[in-house]
Amino acid sequence: MKFIVRSFVVALALTGAIASSYAKAPSAAATVKVAKTSAMPVPRCPPSQPGDCGMSQW
Amino acid sequence: MCVPSVSLLHALGYTELLLCVVALCVLVAKKQWRDYAALGLFLAVRISSDVILTGVHSASGHLIEGHLAYRIYFYVYWISFAVESVLALLIVYSVFRLAMEPLKGLQTLGMLVFKWAAGISVAVALGSAVTPDMTGTKYIMDAISQLQRTQSILTLCLLLFVTFAIRPMGLSYSSRIFGVSLGLGIMSTNDLVQSAWLVFNPNLATTYSVINGVVICTILATWTAYFALPEPKRRMIVLPTTSPFLRWNQISQALGDSPGFVAIGGVPPELFAPAELEVMRRASLKMVTPFPSASERIHVAPAPLPERIRAFSLKIYS
Repeated sequence: MKFIVRSFVVALALTGAIASSYAKAPSAAATVKVAKTSAMPVPRCPPSQPGDCGMSQW
Repeated sequence: MCVPSVSLLHALGYTELLLCVVALCVLVAKKQWRDYAALGLFLAVRISSDVILTGVHSASGHLIEGHLAYRIYFYVYWISFAVESVLALLIVYSVFRLAMEPLKGLQTLGMLVFKWAAGISVAVALGSAVTPDMTGTKYIMDAISQLQRTQSILTLCLLLFVTFAIRPMGLSYSSRIFGVSLGLGIMSTNDLVQSAWLVFNPNLATTYSVINGVVICTILATWTAYFALPEPKRRMIVLPTTSPFLRWNQISQALGDSPGFVAIGGVPPELFAPAELEVMRRASLKMVTPFPSASERIHVAPAPLPERIRAFSLKIYS
């Protein structure tokens, strides 16, 4: 049990570290976007843009 | 967006809201608000934002004009995201405080370090989002991105610490401290993976929303289970006298105390009372080893006078 839990946590941390390095790649700097861990759709258009950013189709 | 994805997202959205309410109710019912206030607030903010977002989304185009609805949705989403990121930092802080409860010295030191680390992280997140071409919206999104990344890394560090130091702290994997840390750790890993995913697959954001929905429901179910089930009592902590935990705890406890003062030299003999000198003379006569010569004499800070007299008296009358 202890071994499984520890392995899982180490796997989580390693995955996070690798993902973090990918997200910080220079080529990605301009395109990095985030969203909260939620099932709610993410609003990505600027609010000044006319229209509802396709909200009616979400 | 295809219809099955939309239906699935809606279902996940309602499930998330329901699980949030259940988790908050269980937390309050089990009288855990005092220890996990930050988590309770996190759930409350999530419930409020989800209710508003779902309401605005449903009313868009019918009760509220489309563009206005989008503006409300945008600001509620990103502001609640920022608040939740800060609350997640507070949850990490409270979990650390609870985990280190028995080792007060290390707890104080760790919390001090954590406050500085979190404060600097927030300042760097806010500062690094300032760019020459920034707009209000872009600034909000960039600052939140940075804040979330920092908070995710701090959370994963805490999870690793709690997992590997859980036994010396008298806890087990059934403890709520571990359950809350595990949920936060899963959320942080998901956030970091999501950032990388969106960089390389920006068109697949909807697919990731489904993954997000499944992950948050899993986390909320985990928290609910940990709070609903009885928590095992903390075991008695027995540390060897040579344990570095114990040593560092003692050192940390002494840090910040107001110092005492000792006379280390230049003490004239007139300071001693005649009776005290007599006691010292008699005691020195009874000593097996002779008094060290002047060259061998080491300057030692004298103990307080009453203690010295008591020590010599005991020696004489023994």
